[in-house]
Amino acid sequence: MAKVRARAESERRDPIQVCFNSQTPLVQFLAPSDGLSGPDWGSSIDLAQLREGVDYRFSPGGVTRMVYPLIRTLVAEEALADAHWVSLNPAAPKTVRIPGLTLHNVALPADRMGGYGKAKEAIWSTVHGLEMADDASDLFWTEEFAEYAFYNRISSERIRALDADEDFDLFYIHDFQQLPVGEMIGSLKPKIFRWHIPFEAHRIPENWRATLVRYLDAYDLVVVSCEAYGRGLRDLGYRGEIRRLYPYVDPDEYSRPPALEVGQVCRELGIRSDDQVVLVVARMDPAKGHDRAIRALAELRPSHPRLRLVLVGNGSFSSARGGVGLPKSALWRSHLEAEAKRLGVAERVIFTGHVSQHILDCLYERCQFTILPSINEGFGLVVVESWLHERPAIVTDRAGVAELIRDGTNGLLFDPDDPDALKSQMRRLLASRRSSAHAMARRAAETAGQCVIGTAARAERDLISEAVEG
Amino acid sequence: MLTLPAWSLPYIFAAVIVAFTALIAWIVGLVVRGAMGQSAPQVAQGARRLATVAVWVVGVLLAVQEIGISVDVLLVVLALVGVAAILACRQSLENFGAKYFSEVYTPFKVGDSIEVGPFAGKVIEINAISTVLLSSDDRLLAVPNSMILREGLVNVSPQAWKELTIPISVPGNRDIAPLENEVMKSLGKLRPRLDKRFPPVLTTRARTPQSTDLILTVMIRRPEDRDPLLAEVNKRVHAAIERTRMSVVPAPSPAPEAAPPS
Repeated sequence: MAKVRARAESERRDPIQVCFNSQTPLVQFLAPSDGLSGPDWGSSIDLAQLREGVDYRFSPGGVTRMVYPLIRTLVAEEALADAHWVSLNPAAPKTVRIPGLTLHNVALPADRMGGYGKAKEAIWSTVHGLEMADDASDLFWTEEFAEYAFYNRISSERIRALDADEDFDLFYIHDFQQLPVGEMIGSLKPKIFRWHIPFEAHRIPENWRATLVRYLDAYDLVVVSCEAYGRGLRDLGYRGEIRRLYPYVDPDEYSRPPALEVGQVCRELGIRSDDQVVLVVARMDPAKGHDRAIRALAELRPSHPRLRLVLVGNGSFSSARGGVGLPKSALWRSHLEAEAKRLGVAERVIFTGHVSQHILDCLYERCQFTILPSINEGFGLVVVESWLHERPAIVTDRAGVAELIRDGTNGLLFDPDDPDALKSQMRRLLASRRSSAHAMARRAAETAGQCVIGTAARAERDLISEAVEG
Repeated sequence: MLTLPAWSLPYIFAAVIVAFTALIAWIVGLVVRGAMGQSAPQVAQGARRLATVAVWVVGVLLAVQEIGISVDVLLVVLALVGVAAILACRQSLENFGAKYFSEVYTPFKVGDSIEVGPFAGKVIEINAISTVLLSSDDRLLAVPNSMILREGLVNVSPQAWKELTIPISVPGNRDIAPLENEVMKSLGKLRPRLDKRFPPVLTTRARTPQSTDLILTVMIRRPEDRDPLLAEVNKRVHAAIERTRMSVVPAPSPAPEAAPPS
């Protein structure tokens, strides 16, 4: 009863003023297709005046996919006042207004972007267990890291300037690119940090540990995507508050298109009606392990000649021309195309690049199952998307979402280091009776309930209230 | 030919003296800054300000005398007020001065555990008069800053000997991102002498429209390097401040509405 009263009290409180911060912006502005210089966006603009798909697009990726529905929901519930969101967006107006939200775009000078990109890629690769550069353990002493610090400092200064006007109640900082912001803004107000990528202490070089702990200590609360990452932070030596909150999506953003539309999309992509379609939705990045799926496809081809692998996604904001501009997405795709050719399955692999939500929904509906083949994955929201479409998923056991999967019950797991594991699980699913595959998909759809905005918004609201209340 | 009235000549001479004073003050400032290149930036800035003010005081007194006003009485009044102020606030001034010097030269900061004479505890505040400690039995201890300078202190925080803290004060409109970037790049060259687990950290201590007070912290590897490293770090910080002198934060202006692109 006391809890109910406390909840009712908290619901009557004034809306909380939150400043969100992430590297990836919610909205990316599109350059003209003729390659000429883009329009002058001016310093402030209302997004309603522009056309989605022509002037701008919503950034793909987990962080923006989570944060925007969260803001929308909590602002609609009046738990939050109109929010502010600071992110890196050089080719954009200084501010963009959306109902309930103002986006503040930070511009990093072009001559600093390369160094910043290298430093954050070094952190990303190390944390994901990818091959580490020889000097990565000295990263914090490099000129690249000085640019990383520069970017974080200008973000922090922007947040401080906004705070002087808005007097925020809380700062909610997202992901490793922004880790130093908590310390740099130096405010006594509560700060939450959401760590989105994997975290295993044994992957962190000795020379990084004290600095990471110092940055983390600047926050009142660190949110991780699964229990294992919380244990990783403890192993590193972080003694502050840690909460586990599964990432989430808004189910209303997904639809189940009718068969006619699915058929049309498949025809355009060259998928035949008798093809057995397996879907991988992941940006083009070596950490995503597309090569493992291609090798498994090649090995299964003699027994399943109609098997087709559809790879959806291109670069992240890091690879975007208007973003950080790193070439890794294009390089990885070329490598995968060469690998498919070498294994003799080039015509069985379809690279779609970035697709609209409608086409993605059609592909989920068309596929038999999905694969998340990542070498290491912070969580894996695409698995939740697959579940919402009632498609079972074969998931790397190095993804945060693996914590929710009971092998053979609501999905299948595999070890990405075992060369035969993915192939075996694909064979298992391809050989299973239709009814048992459906049962698995239904149970997976139930599991997805733990990763949707309705459930998560309540948890986030409590988390935010708790941080503000101290 | 233009002839100036006789009464105007003293005023013209006074104006010339003021102009000369400005020039000399500027030159003296440059000389002091160059001479103190290896001192803590805050000390160098204080010395420069003191030297400049001294030149201006002399210059203004000469200019005032030039226009026929006797400065003798003014000097006597100033001296008496000064002596009275020193006598009245001797204790406070002693503590204030001690705070200034301990800030720059004494190796402790808020958060450290220290022992001063009979007192021991964690530093939770350093103000103009005293350093406030929280003892292990939850009591607040106010140790006069002058006592710290007189009696000395023991910093018992782990690895305290490694830490070099350099206070930096820059104008309030200075953009600190380029300064931090320059400092980090420059100190990267000293990394063989520094503890690699702790890269340089610049933290903001106080901000006003007039000035931003920062603290640079670096960790040394060997105790015997402490003195030369302190001088070298100070030199590099001075250079970074100079290189980023032109980086200022633009004054805020209302954002004009932009029309959507055609």
